[in-house]
Amino acid sequence: MAITWRAVVLAALGVIFVAVLPAAGTVVAWALVVVLLCVLDVLLAASPRSIGLSRTVPPSVRLTETVSSVLTVTNLDRRRWRGVVRDAWQPSAGARQDRFPVDLRAGEARRLTTVLVPVRRGDRLADRVTLRAVGPLGLAGRQLSIDVPARLRVLPEFASRRHLPSRLARLRELDGRSAVQVRGPGTEFDSLREYVIGDDVRSIDWRASARRSDVVVRTWRPERDRRVLIVIDTSRTSAARVLDAPRLDASIEAALLLAALASRAGDRVELVAYDRAVRARVAGTTGPRLMPAIAEALAQVEPVLVEADWPGLVTLVRDRLSQRALVVLLSALEPASVEQGLLTVVGQLTRLHQVLLASVRDPELDALRRDHTDANAVFDAAAADRTELERQAVAGRLRDLGVEVVDALPDDLAPQVADAYLALKAAGRL
Amino acid sequence: MTQISGPGRTPGGTPAQPLGQIPVVLTAGTVVGDGSTATSTARARWRHGRTTAIVVALLVVVAALSVLPRPRTSGIPLAPDNPSPAGGRAVARILTDRGVTVEYVRTTAAAAARATSGATLLVTSTDLLDSAQVAALGRTTADLVLVDPSAPALDALSDGRADRYGTPRAPGTIVSADCSDADAQAAGRITVDASGLLLVDGAGVVCFPGDDRSTGAYLVLTGHRRLTALASAEPLTNGALAQAGNAAIALRALGRNDTLVWYVPSPQDSGTDQVSAPGLGDLLPPQAGLVGVQLLLVALVAAVWRGRRLGRLVTEPLPVVVRSSEAVRGRGRLYRRSRSLGHAAAALRAGTARRCATRVGLARSADAVTVIDAVARATGRPSEEIAALLYGPPPTDDGGLAHLARRLDDLESEVHRT
Repeated sequence: MAITWRAVVLAALGVIFVAVLPAAGTVVAWALVVVLLCVLDVLLAASPRSIGLSRTVPPSVRLTETVSSVLTVTNLDRRRWRGVVRDAWQPSAGARQDRFPVDLRAGEARRLTTVLVPVRRGDRLADRVTLRAVGPLGLAGRQLSIDVPARLRVLPEFASRRHLPSRLARLRELDGRSAVQVRGPGTEFDSLREYVIGDDVRSIDWRASARRSDVVVRTWRPERDRRVLIVIDTSRTSAARVLDAPRLDASIEAALLLAALASRAGDRVELVAYDRAVRARVAGTTGPRLMPAIAEALAQVEPVLVEADWPGLVTLVRDRLSQRALVVLLSALEPASVEQGLLTVVGQLTRLHQVLLASVRDPELDALRRDHTDANAVFDAAAADRTELERQAVAGRLRDLGVEVVDALPDDLAPQVADAYLALKAAGRL
Repeated sequence: MTQISGPGRTPGGTPAQPLGQIPVVLTAGTVVGDGSTATSTARARWRHGRTTAIVVALLVVVAALSVLPRPRTSGIPLAPDNPSPAGGRAVARILTDRGVTVEYVRTTAAAAARATSGATLLVTSTDLLDSAQVAALGRTTADLVLVDPSAPALDALSDGRADRYGTPRAPGTIVSADCSDADAQAAGRITVDASGLLLVDGAGVVCFPGDDRSTGAYLVLTGHRRLTALASAEPLTNGALAQAGNAAIALRALGRNDTLVWYVPSPQDSGTDQVSAPGLGDLLPPQAGLVGVQLLLVALVAAVWRGRRLGRLVTEPLPVVVRSSEAVRGRGRLYRRSRSLGHAAAALRAGTARRCATRVGLARSADAVTVIDAVARATGRPSEEIAALLYGPPPTDDGGLAHLARRLDDLESEVHRT
């Protein structure tokens, strides 16, 4: 049962009658007229149970991209079906318009398109479809809500992909297509080519130049087929909000950019999301299937409010990796939790692997530190200063243990992690 | 597309042909209805809401019973709606049954307005009336019946032709008419608890005399209008009406005319003015009330219209919303509340020293003397000043801390400049 605005107008018309015939009977009679007409309309309305419903949704969409959910309504009644259909979704699915006036002849079907612009990562679920069939008078109708399950997987946005072209250019530079300026241990000799102005004179191969009449330089190719293990920390420190998003979102962006870059560089990428248990894992996937697999795996990862189990992670890494690899920890540089957890076990990792710790830095911390407007603000600034000193002290101790530390603002984290990876690769430290 | 099974769902690809429906080929996963019928839904709703419905129905019945018109009674002595022994409802009922219109009023203004010629005005007591009210009653042209009048009121209303002496007697004293008045003779004997009415001069008669033969319990003055006075209220009361000839004297005195204005003076009424200026209600047209009721009904219908949702609210599992900087702010509040000026100043100084050292290219492990020397060289300030600023004693109050913070800022900006 539901009534429409027309029933309100009908009731309001009674005011005229009451003004003309001011008697209690007029009020009662008009109320009866309204009720009777509404009941009649409900009885004459088509049944919401005679509608066939099916929903078509694309399996997944990248965050902030637009997608359409198509609901097909089919009138199975012998009567004309008029009314409203609501295709309900979770608020974060971002449905702009989910109510549709529908007028179907017997046997007719229509497609109702709900435009969705998801605002959150993860599985967005459709709620019930509500059918309100209105009677021929348009006064009242029958209503029914029906479960039509549907799920839309929202993948991470990967906004950091805009940094990919420039990093790939740097990679090509390393890759021997131009002379590398850095010659570290472990770089592999690639080929000889003619000297062009701008090349580092230290790259000139004098012996080869002596054999030919030209000056020849050596080019270097960084090592390939190294292993990169990306560990995303989903423990309580990843839940804290920096600007408008949890730390985890920045970590995911960094992981996606690093995975894209490393796979193009010919390294084998593995990914684990971990707090006290493995929340997501991508392993053994290479080539074009890697990025979709990572996006799919990270779509559903949410922060868990538990303390991370770092010894467990060390065991996990030892099980996964047999040879030297780059272990990228996308975690937080929280002095207390790092001292209690990571610092106690990171030595076991650095003995075997190159470890890179990437942490999101809160711009509010810097704002608080600089704010000296009044005494209260100065106390906050002092607290920010102390926290910053502790962070740097912890970062220093980690560096002493051989860990590369990247501490960057949310938007800068992904490119800085990529840069750190390229630097390690160029230096042959993988 | 999702495959669904369950009641009310069609198997994929087969024509759905329920009763009364037309054959349409549906695609796989199509849902029709939710397995319920209109009857089952109605039954479920009734089961769900019957307790509420019964309670509401009971409340409505109780409310309807409580507003049903009911005989109204009061406890005011001699009031026509007072059923107690001291009340006057018996007389009023008998008079009404005999065709007399009884108008019950509580104000002088109302009594004076209704007491026209050809009516009877009963004043049950004069104790609460001031002289202006008595004068207003005296200006009416109706026949007057006064019960237990005070001497000044009787004097004023009878133009000095009658007087009153307070002569209380035991309740239930039986007195005989002993006069020529027809009403008194018809009553014969009545019961009274007071007497003392005296005819001064003019046309009239005193009946039911007491020990003093010149005063009585009943006085009638004739002239341009009839004035009847009863020294005792007893003959009119419910309790004593059936005794002796009380009923006869009461009905004859009050039922002389077709209209009886029954005035019971009220302590709230102290003037003779008409009721105050017309209120807002009097300015509205008469149908305004009913239109208001109809508008209330319209509002009710509108509430039902807006109150029925098109499907339920959809919930959203929300993520954690703790800001990362909350821990730092909490630490700042701890410093503030515990007045840790020393800790706060040390943190500010250490932070500045650290940043200055980084800018001038010192290692993390550089000691205080090295830092002071390097900063002094970079800023051109004397070493003592730098030492006092970076490693001096802690400030003693909030102002000192703020001042220190500003000076550290200045120092840092100078190092930045070099």
